[in-house]
Amino acid sequence: MSTRRAFLKGAGIAIFGISIGGVPNFVARAANNLKQNRLYKKKKVLVCIFQRGAMDGLMAVTPFEDAYLKSARPTLFMEAGRENPLIDLDGRFGLHPAFKSFEPLFKEKRIAIVHGIGSPNNTRSHFDAQDYMESGTPFNKGTSSGWLNRAIGVMGHDASPFTAVSLTSSLPKSLYGTNQTMAISNLNDFALQVKDNRFNQGLVAGSFEDLYDETTSSLLKETSKESFDAMKMLQHADVKNYKPSYGAEYPKTPLGKAMQQIAQLIKMDVGLEIAFTEHSGWDTHVGQGTLQGTFARSATDLSNSITAFWTDLGGDLQDDVTLMTMTEFGRTVKQNGTGGTDHGRASCNFILGNDVNGGKVHGLVKTLATENLEDGRDQPVTTDFRAVFSEVADKHLLIRDNQILFPDWKGISIGVMKS
Amino acid sequence: MTKNIKKKLPLFILPVLVIAGMSFSGNRINESSIKFPYEQAGLTESEAAAHLINRFTFGPTPNEVDKVVHEGLEKWFLQQLSANMNDDALNEKLKDYDALNMSNAEILQKYPSNAEILKLAMEEEKINKEAIADGSRDKKEVMNDYRKKHGFGTYKQLYDQLISQKILRATYSQNQLQEVMTDFWFNHFNISIAKSSYGMFAISYERDALRKNCLSNFEQLLISTAKSPAMLQYLDNARSTGKNSRLGDTQEQTERKIEMLKNDTSAAARNKQEKLEKKLNSGLNENYARELMELHTLGVDGGYTQKDVTEVARVLTGWTVFPALREDDPARAKKLALFDSEKSKRMGFVHEGDFLFALNRHDDEEKTILGKKFPAGGGYDEGLQLFHLLATHPSTAKFISKKLAIHFVSDNPPQSLIDKMAKTFLDKNGDIKQVLLTMVQSPEFWSKDAVREKIKSPFELAISTMRILNTSSISRPDVLNNWITKMGQRIYFYQAPTGFPDNAQYWINTSSLLNRINFGLAVTSNKIPGLNYDLAALNDYKEPESAEKALEVYCKLLLPERNTESTIKRLTPLLNDPNLESKIDKASKENAKKDDSTDDGDVMASDTPIKSNKKNNYSGSLNFSNSSSLKQVVGIILGSPEFQRR
Repeated sequence: MSTRRAFLKGAGIAIFGISIGGVPNFVARAANNLKQNRLYKKKKVLVCIFQRGAMDGLMAVTPFEDAYLKSARPTLFMEAGRENPLIDLDGRFGLHPAFKSFEPLFKEKRIAIVHGIGSPNNTRSHFDAQDYMESGTPFNKGTSSGWLNRAIGVMGHDASPFTAVSLTSSLPKSLYGTNQTMAISNLNDFALQVKDNRFNQGLVAGSFEDLYDETTSSLLKETSKESFDAMKMLQHADVKNYKPSYGAEYPKTPLGKAMQQIAQLIKMDVGLEIAFTEHSGWDTHVGQGTLQGTFARSATDLSNSITAFWTDLGGDLQDDVTLMTMTEFGRTVKQNGTGGTDHGRASCNFILGNDVNGGKVHGLVKTLATENLEDGRDQPVTTDFRAVFSEVADKHLLIRDNQILFPDWKGISIGVMKS
Repeated sequence: MTKNIKKKLPLFILPVLVIAGMSFSGNRINESSIKFPYEQAGLTESEAAAHLINRFTFGPTPNEVDKVVHEGLEKWFLQQLSANMNDDALNEKLKDYDALNMSNAEILQKYPSNAEILKLAMEEEKINKEAIADGSRDKKEVMNDYRKKHGFGTYKQLYDQLISQKILRATYSQNQLQEVMTDFWFNHFNISIAKSSYGMFAISYERDALRKNCLSNFEQLLISTAKSPAMLQYLDNARSTGKNSRLGDTQEQTERKIEMLKNDTSAAARNKQEKLEKKLNSGLNENYARELMELHTLGVDGGYTQKDVTEVARVLTGWTVFPALREDDPARAKKLALFDSEKSKRMGFVHEGDFLFALNRHDDEEKTILGKKFPAGGGYDEGLQLFHLLATHPSTAKFISKKLAIHFVSDNPPQSLIDKMAKTFLDKNGDIKQVLLTMVQSPEFWSKDAVREKIKSPFELAISTMRILNTSSISRPDVLNNWITKMGQRIYFYQAPTGFPDNAQYWINTSSLLNRINFGLAVTSNKIPGLNYDLAALNDYKEPESAEKALEVYCKLLLPERNTESTIKRLTPLLNDPNLESKIDKASKENAKKDDSTDDGDVMASDTPIKSNKKNNYSGSLNFSNSSSLKQVVGIILGSPEFQRR
């Protein structure tokens, strides 16, 4: 961290108070001179989307030949094949039609699916399960940091306040921890709003910087450093008039907007390595629906946001990016009395990237006969989420030592990434 | 002194002290035996008063620290616990919000859902479905016209009232602790108003279930939330039906019947199928049962199992919302006659206001919860026994005590404090006042590690700003709310039943901090319309003799009993900038060119002193209190790290 702060001072932008005009427009410069004079050596980017509420993996990617599933879900089950709604992926698994924009990417082997993924801890509490997944320690409640935050520490690149960014209004547990991270809900808001009093904007900003630097609250002090650094970096970047490339069209939803801003940050080349955002609406206890309904709505939003993002990145940048979805657990095999599903165990996730061992449904899914279920009711977890997360971190971010990310994890990877 | 305050603070009327021999839900408190141990912790009386106010109100009003010292800290606290101060001034501000005093039935009637409006409009205007489907009649237009014609309100208008009243109550209520506790319990028993099907009921939920019981007894509070339509709908218990109940045992038959009707395309068959599917759309739902134990009572480590969750869900089958709440519901008379009949009562149905215990949905077989057997046939009383078991459980005592300590003391409260509070919780049957009294009489509450260690939530930050500026009116609470949202807290919309995390780390991050800083600047630069405050009045219209003096004075006014040395030191350069004079001159010219329409009656809107008398302004001898520099300084003090803490 000291390295970065020294760097920023060296670049002359920490002396904020003197003159706004004197701040080098180095973010814009970096964007303009992408090929030369790059301020940050181009890094790999991992994008994570947390699907909060627990996605029904059996509806997202349905083992459509499973007679047990069919009988357990009289009004939720859909068939695959001609005339039928599910998109047949491999003769056994069918993709929910709302994920149809994933189909070409799956065929190009850029998307891999892991089915039966979940946590070894069988809690069915959203809060706990998310907490465990984000901390990366499924049996330790006391972990105060998130696995993605620890990943930043291991990478140690320490170059930019934008190393790890969460496109959320508040910091997610995944990014809690001692390494500097930031949460932005909207890049456009990232400025000190003293425009009506232009005459002393610099002084005002300088005063705040000093005030926060002296506070006895270390949280306020450390966070403020990040705030001011980040603000300076975004100052001259034209975030307001962003036009997506290659005709990408983002859904006009919170997730669509978040994905667009992640693409913006990647293209601005400000040193982003880990991006995080979240997507809610997966807790489908009531009226889950089939072709339409709450599940289909969320699935459309998720898949269209991701594919727009991927399109927007275009050729070269796609090589640097891997995207992974995650959800805290799956849902009951049997539908409940209110046209939905309750909290279960395993779910599935999607991994997108050019280094991904794609076009495959990984993992083990046995027939959903009662004797094969966990507690006689739920799809059992056959792949520990840590196996997948650590493999992605290893192959994409080159974090070989997964003991820091997942201290209790001793398992092996399942080959979701190309070796 | 007293006279002085009265003159300055017309809004914050002095309390009438009548607290002799208070009685708290059966637990009598001997007033004279209460003593706060702040001296032992090394705090002066004023520092202690400031700490007390910071924790049990939404922030001090001007001179409130002196007022509390004068009154006596213990007396002030007991007065707040009794929550019986006159709130006429607040009620005057709330009088135009018509929904606040409505029952759920009245709200459903005055603010019908979109689906309901559409249905009624189509019936009345004789519009057929096809016209809407093919777009020859615009759906929104039809609904809007119908709404206007009959004087119905929208859901947004309804929740705008909810949000506005929360902002106004928190700012202006004399019974501050009552509002703080209502806020605390709302977050504890969180519901979200993102969905109108339960959001409709949020007004009565907060008013009748929470505020009314916020300082009473935990079991009573818990049961009130359990019976509230808002909670019953939010966590789906209203739909949960027992397998062994009269409605539930035909489920398989129903499924079979639906299957048989599937190939019949006649209208009658489709109609029947729809009805059967509705019937099928019931069954055991564990959602409420789980959160009841995990979040409302025992806590996730409270020692229950998945089996317990299912058993609790079974006990609570039949706890639902009365099916025909609206007075004008044509089915109401029939339902009332049915459920209020002597026969129904004898059978075990219970109808209380909006709540119905529907025996025909209830699983009447035996259950076992936390090792305790609930024999078959327990009916409604079995639910009450369950709530008693949960509300008086040692895990609940610990869990609730810890949450209270986190809210009022520090993000990591000492175990010794939690243990003391939990003991009181158990000894005094969940008497919330007694638990708070134990907390505030503990040395841990006054420890230097605790003072100023809580970071304000965005809501607390916004309201404390309103209070310290003595803002006499907030005519656009919605705009203020937009800022609270921007700072990271969308009140009433937190979707998870956990409520907002109550810790600094959740509120403070790179972007929220900037928004918090910007909030102070926005308030003082009139970017938030409708706020009426008077900076000069805060200093009794006395002119500080210099700019430096003004800084010192306002730091003390806005940050009572804080160490303001560093704030003053860091802000002084702002006043001593050699170029300030020319900058102000330039700025005032720019300001003069600007449209003043955003000023919205702020008494500070006029910057004329700067324009006409800039030299005097810079030297600080004249009119500094009315200058834009002062606003800027106040804006920065509000954005300073000290003001983020409580």
